[in-house]
Amino acid sequence: MNNNIAYLKIENISKNFSTPNGCLPVLEKINLEVKQSDFVCIVGPSGCGKTTLLNIIANLESATAGRVLYKGKTLLTTEPNRLVIFQELGLFPWLNVRDNVEFGLKVKKIPSAKRKKIAEEYLRMVNLIKFKNFFIHELSGGMKQRVALARALAMDPEILLMDEPFAALDAQTRDLLHQELQKIWSDTKKTILFVTHNVREAVCLGDKVIVFSAQPASIKASFEINLPRPRQIESPGLIDTVRPIIEELKPEIAKITKVNHEENN
Amino acid sequence: MKKIIKQLIFYSLIIFLWQAVIMLKIWPDYIFPSPMKVLEALIEGFNNSTFPRAIGISLRRIFLGYGISILLGCFLGVAIHRFKIINDTVGGLILGLQTLPSICWLPLALIWFGLNERAIIFVAIMGALFSVTIATDSSIRNIPPLYIKVGKNMGARRLALLGKVIIPAALPHFIPGLKQGWSFAWRSLMAGELLFVNLGLGYLLMVGRELNDMSQVIAVMLVVAFISILVDKLVFGRIEVNLRKRWGLKA
Repeated sequence: MNNNIAYLKIENISKNFSTPNGCLPVLEKINLEVKQSDFVCIVGPSGCGKTTLLNIIANLESATAGRVLYKGKTLLTTEPNRLVIFQELGLFPWLNVRDNVEFGLKVKKIPSAKRKKIAEEYLRMVNLIKFKNFFIHELSGGMKQRVALARALAMDPEILLMDEPFAALDAQTRDLLHQELQKIWSDTKKTILFVTHNVREAVCLGDKVIVFSAQPASIKASFEINLPRPRQIESPGLIDTVRPIIEELKPEIAKITKVNHEENN
Repeated sequence: MKKIIKQLIFYSLIIFLWQAVIMLKIWPDYIFPSPMKVLEALIEGFNNSTFPRAIGISLRRIFLGYGISILLGCFLGVAIHRFKIINDTVGGLILGLQTLPSICWLPLALIWFGLNERAIIFVAIMGALFSVTIATDSSIRNIPPLYIKVGKNMGARRLALLGKVIIPAALPHFIPGLKQGWSFAWRSLMAGELLFVNLGLGYLLMVGRELNDMSQVIAVMLVVAFISILVDKLVFGRIEVNLRKRWGLKA
């Protein structure tokens, strides 16, 4: 690979939604370069368009302007090399845990013996091998997250796009999954874009933290995080790194609160 | 197992009461036959093969009629779902037609097709068609868009998306409609066979009436109900139990 070409380049991406009240700009001229095996966290106020950006990178939504370049090429269709782990996960209730993990492999028409081997490998990685025959509704929230992670990893994607995956979990489960995700990331060397509204989570996980401004979202600041790994969300070193990011984020959250307040009156 | 014992006691009690009323000799035997007489009629019907033949004919009609209505219903349902113009026009009409008992189609069917097999199958088709159509449309409408998004992102297109995501995701809403369609089709077939006599189980009911043989009438009624229950429990019951187990739905 030519070193001058960025692994993933987001170039001038803008997105407008048309609403009954007219055109609503959601993303405004987003420019971002991601290196291979980078762990990039995007923080921003809720509803600022972070999810939309992930969907655009995965080609599940189209941008109003701008383009996404992957190894220098424009991407046209959604492909399993860029997998989204959605906030609501979208695990299939009609399949058991193992069949969920095998789903994408089945679509790829990989023979069943090989499929089984891959699925079990990743189920072991996320510590769920004992639950492979369970149905989704029989699992706890944290276990469901792990299934979604295994299902994505089994496809061996180049880029994982994670959309606030841990937002609905209790603190202990989330801490545990932070540890597991860091380990999986350092073992598999996947490129990860991780969206969250939790700055501490972002600092705990990312090499880089990008701060989005409020409606329309644009990149407001970018921080390199050089803390040693594995990191714990409550480790003291984290606090000093978190503070300046929160300072950047605060006015943006205030903006959104103000807008909502005015709309309510 | 406890449930079976309860049911056994319940049905024994019904037969016992039935026999008790017979012993009071309020009605003559040909109006109100004894359980024994009905059992004899049942055995006789199976021995001289009038029942098996009638069952065969009715089943053939229901499979044809129900089968065609599933195919047509799925097609119509998908068309309604896909095209707004069809939804706005045909969709409303079908909702209206569903309220019409399908036996009302019999006079038309007799004029269109004549006194033959096609007329009776037409009535069976109309019995299930609208239930299946509406179930198809609403079950696709009820699929969470997220499943489709995940399927596409994982590389599923067209047939793979249909077979691996859309159909399994639609089943929980589709099966109840299919089941309702089955019972509508079975009922309208029986009604059709009763009114326009041409073999089948409904026809046997009319023969029983004409011969003043109420034991045969009751025996045939038992057979009709039994077939209905059998399909309900064995086919739909199993599918529903399986769906509930997978999706974690309440019974």
